[in-house]
Amino acid sequence: MIPAPAPPPPVLYSTRPEWSDVEPLQQYEKANPLAPILYSEEYKDATDYLRGIVKAGEKSERVLALTEHVIRLNPAHYSAWQYRYETLLALDAPLDTEVALMDELADKYLKTYQVWHHRRLLLLRRGARAAAAELAFVGRILQRDEKNYHTWAHRQWLLASFNDDVLWGGELDFVDSMMNRDVRNNSAWHHRFFVVFQSGVREGEADRERIVRRELIYVKQNISLAPNNASAWNYLRGVLEYNRLPFSTVAAFVQPYTVLLPEAATDIVDLENPPPGRGAELPCAAAVEFLADVYEEKGGADVQTAVGLWRSLADEHDTIRKKYWEFRIRDALTALQ
Amino acid sequence: MNNTSDPLPPLAASAHVAHVKHALARLPGSMVNVDASRMAIVFYCIGSLDLLGVLETETSQVDRTSWRMWIWEQYVAGRYGTGFRPGPFMSTSVHSDQNGPHIIMTYTALLSLAMLRDDFSRLNRPGVLKFVNSCQNRDGSFSSMPNGGGDSDLRNLYCAFCICSLLGDWSSIDVERATTFVGSCRTYEGGYGQLPSCEAQGGTTYLAIAALRLAPPGPRPRLTAAEQARSEHWLVHNQDASGGFRGRTGKAPDACYCFWGGAALQILGAQDKLNAHAFTQFIAACQFPFGGIGRAPGQPPDPYHTYLSLAAVAMYAPRLEPGARRYGQWEFAPFDPLLNASGDTVRWARSHIPARRF
Repeated sequence: MIPAPAPPPPVLYSTRPEWSDVEPLQQYEKANPLAPILYSEEYKDATDYLRGIVKAGEKSERVLALTEHVIRLNPAHYSAWQYRYETLLALDAPLDTEVALMDELADKYLKTYQVWHHRRLLLLRRGARAAAAELAFVGRILQRDEKNYHTWAHRQWLLASFNDDVLWGGELDFVDSMMNRDVRNNSAWHHRFFVVFQSGVREGEADRERIVRRELIYVKQNISLAPNNASAWNYLRGVLEYNRLPFSTVAAFVQPYTVLLPEAATDIVDLENPPPGRGAELPCAAAVEFLADVYEEKGGADVQTAVGLWRSLADEHDTIRKKYWEFRIRDALTALQ
Repeated sequence: MNNTSDPLPPLAASAHVAHVKHALARLPGSMVNVDASRMAIVFYCIGSLDLLGVLETETSQVDRTSWRMWIWEQYVAGRYGTGFRPGPFMSTSVHSDQNGPHIIMTYTALLSLAMLRDDFSRLNRPGVLKFVNSCQNRDGSFSSMPNGGGDSDLRNLYCAFCICSLLGDWSSIDVERATTFVGSCRTYEGGYGQLPSCEAQGGTTYLAIAALRLAPPGPRPRLTAAEQARSEHWLVHNQDASGGFRGRTGKAPDACYCFWGGAALQILGAQDKLNAHAFTQFIAACQFPFGGIGRAPGQPPDPYHTYLSLAAVAMYAPRLEPGARRYGQWEFAPFDPLLNASGDTVRWARSHIPARRF
């Protein structure tokens, strides 16, 4: 392969005639700078002109070019972002053009707060008509980085802020598509909980009992496919607690996951209680813990059964948390007295 | 790795000192993305020296004086009060909103000055309170800059609470509204997200729990027993078999989450519920051969992971008999998990930052 030619050195603003009317301002720092950054010539030059522009208060087309340049060199430069936004408003610039540029920058600098903050400000200006396209964009970004916190946060903000039934309509299918890629993606599980339980009740979802049943079947099936998935167990706990259902509601489902060799499955497929798939690593520590909670909840003599299960976690199935399980044992026995 | 009989590799203290002193002297051009948060890097570097107990021995009086001067040079008055900016990255001779104080930088600057034992005689306390007030939003949350400027999330709220706590004055903010906002960030998993509706994450869970504990008493307890138990459950389950903490369910462990998770458990009084030996083992393994600590074994170091790792082990390293101290031991002075600094520094800050009563 022929190596790509090195990019030409950047043409500094200080050598460009079209910028000669701006007075560049060097960063003002006294004799003993602390943690000084060895700036590149390009960054030093571009920020000299940014400071000059800000001092002069200029808001023009070329400010958009300059701030874009600074942002590409340092996407966390919040002042460049802020001044860019003010300039866009002052110029009444077409925000759709800005968004097209932002699509590229968000993709490049996914982990920078400012990239997402700027998108938010733009969306608030553009209003609901832009929200559907934004949702699709966020979906594409999540295909590339499935657990990116900022991207998921942006999606949740978008849904909650515009709160439009059309936007919400596709969310469960979207979660499914993310789950199909990785059933251990906790961000997708969290998003499902947010959509189903934490964002109000939408059309067709008024029958909450039916919704809870649907969610329990959903999470059980996922556990049956991949039992050692902390995200799914947390979801199961979350659904029960949020809907004030005792853990014992699903005890029959959980039990086969707590033993080394579950009884041979019958031919009858029990949708309510899907068994562990063949080859599953059992017993599953999360199931053992869950069952212990069921027994603790029952109280009385059953607490001793819970203690036995915690003991097995401490000594065998989840030794890293030995101290936590021993605390649970002490705590439950104290409560019993 | 979690075998309690495995001996700990030595703490490479002098190599870590060299790493952060080097960063204080100069940062490479590749770190230009911290230009707008330089004060935080300064905090991590000076903080590492403070935790290692070498500020007096490894730096000169002249250095410390010049460092204090640099921090005070970032102290600016804006239209909405006074505070610290990240550094001189936008400094020009004229005032503009692009060169004003930033709430996270104000918190890190105050603690850095306390590490350097500044007397805070230059601090305009009412000015700082006015600035913190101007950063609070209607929903109780805080932005990093006045009037909803910059992003808003639990980081800013935590810093606002620390500043009010250090000043001993909560009168400029609406504490009840702010704590209600914190509560709305709690998720079904037991941790807290960065904003309401966001996934539980280790850093924001620390910020939420610390903020609730810093807040003055309210009409109701800030956390119920059930909420505490759920947070503990989520936190201890984030300890990976390697001893390290992950930031979210199902992710890989990272040294910085050892701090966030470990400190949150300390604040909840649940410090005995994690495996401290494996925890320290993990961080010991994150030490980079040439100094500094990285996010995971074999990863390059940076001041952020170096400081937070040292702070994490300062809370959990095995306590030794005084006579047993020797080179390379993981031994630290007491640490304050609420404000995130050494106990001595927090004591200094609390006795010098509040307004003097005459």
